[in-house]
Amino acid sequence: MPEIFNISQTPITAHAFNADRSQLAVSLNSNDAQILTRSGSEWAPTEMLTEHDKVITSIDWAPNSNQIVTASQDRNAYVWQQTPDPDTGKIVWKPTLVLLRINRAATHVRWSPKEDKFAVASGARAIAICSFDPENNWWVSKHLKKPIRSTVLAVDWHPNNVLLAAGSADMKARVFSAYVKEIDERPAATVWGSKLPFNTICGEFASAAGGWVHSVGFSPSGDVLAFASHDSSISIAYPGGAIHNIRMPTLPLVTLTWTSEDTIIAAGHDCQPIVFSGSDAGWQEVGTLDNGSYGTGSKAGPGSVGRLKTGAFATFRDADSRGQTSSGTTDSKLSTIHQNTITSVRPYAGVPGQITQVSTTGVDGTLVIWDTASVSALTGRMAALSV
Amino acid sequence: MSHTVDIPQPIKDSLRKFRFARRNDGSAAIVIKINKQKLIMEEVEQFDNISIEELAEELPENSPRYVVLSHALVHPDGRTSFPLALINWAPTTSEIGLLTLHASALLDFQTTADVSKIIEIREGPESLTTDVVNTHLLGK
Repeated sequence: MPEIFNISQTPITAHAFNADRSQLAVSLNSNDAQILTRSGSEWAPTEMLTEHDKVITSIDWAPNSNQIVTASQDRNAYVWQQTPDPDTGKIVWKPTLVLLRINRAATHVRWSPKEDKFAVASGARAIAICSFDPENNWWVSKHLKKPIRSTVLAVDWHPNNVLLAAGSADMKARVFSAYVKEIDERPAATVWGSKLPFNTICGEFASAAGGWVHSVGFSPSGDVLAFASHDSSISIAYPGGAIHNIRMPTLPLVTLTWTSEDTIIAAGHDCQPIVFSGSDAGWQEVGTLDNGSYGTGSKAGPGSVGRLKTGAFATFRDADSRGQTSSGTTDSKLSTIHQNTITSVRPYAGVPGQITQVSTTGVDGTLVIWDTASVSALTGRMAALSV
Repeated sequence: MSHTVDIPQPIKDSLRKFRFARRNDGSAAIVIKINKQKLIMEEVEQFDNISIEELAEELPENSPRYVVLSHALVHPDGRTSFPLALINWAPTTSEIGLLTLHASALLDFQTTADVSKIIEIREGPESLTTDVVNTHLLGK
């Protein structure tokens, strides 16, 4: 049974759990991040992290070092650490500014697996790789620039702490080497290459019809790259081998995560998490985690897709031509749990390689925790589309 | 002129010794850093007979340094001379406070070291090459 939490009435822009999942950091489309603590079946707000001047676009919580990094449209990132307050003695989150030296908004941030670096994707057509310089007590930021030609929308780290995948609005998914001389030891050779100085391109991929790459993810072993693009497809790339592309007849996916070496869960504008499975021989869509029985909306009638048949246009047209003052409740609630786009899916429970639960948040302000094992077939229940 | 950073006597002596040391071949360099807590200059290390590219590898990528370089310059007419140059090593990824302090103390350091040519290197190891140094010393 999925656990459903109504966190807020505003969209949840980003969410991140701490290591034992007792606390949640969210950005509710605002300049401040909220820390919520779990009390029973509720999430109660406990602290506010106020420092940014513009919307916080992305949050990541490092499980081992317990540091939070927030990135915002104000072109800055802050690293938050829990320290005792000098005046009151209470434990508070203390921010440290990281000068990213970008001249556009930051869009996405992720800690590296060893939590000694983090990558910030930005609209400045660059990715800032930030590492701590203890000699100067300062976060140093180096840029991955070539050959990115547009906003970077998402990043994901390879398990070896050196390679980074990036999806960009120039319709390409790329794998970069983010090797920082002072922090990393020489990594062992992988399928992506060996001897990789900073800013080497280890792979560049595009999907069949093109389209912005909204999300990228390395498999648990790091040998396979998956990316979701705006042409409603998900592509799985094997370096040196084939790229498998699954084109969906439905709305684009904007976020994805690997739950095991052969399973991906992706979600997007269809408001439900979809499961894909496969191997280097081929990939296919397996089903959805939302079997439609949890949501409280009714099924949309056939043929009620399109802007002239639903929403405000239909309401006023029906009131005018047919004298119907309400169109019934057929269009107002979706049959899925999420009532709006899911913007983020993250692993919740399990070990990397065998994730048993995932958490999703979206534009409707709800947080849902799903069981990855309960997959049901995807038939005729896409948000407003009847297949 | 006010001095933000002090140059202690041992550093001045090191610089004089470096300046007057007999050079036979190769380039030699002395690297000085600023100690932000104490606001004094400190010598980091000296290199003898090092290539410019090796020097670029040795210098920190995220911290500013002053490098007094005695470079083996081969003139187009075949002569070899050993001019002194000051490399203002100031990568943009350095901490801002330290970078500003470094910039404010540059003029003072230059007069103490008594060097006329300054080479500004702001981008990091890629922009410090033998060609860059030669062009600077030969041209202007």
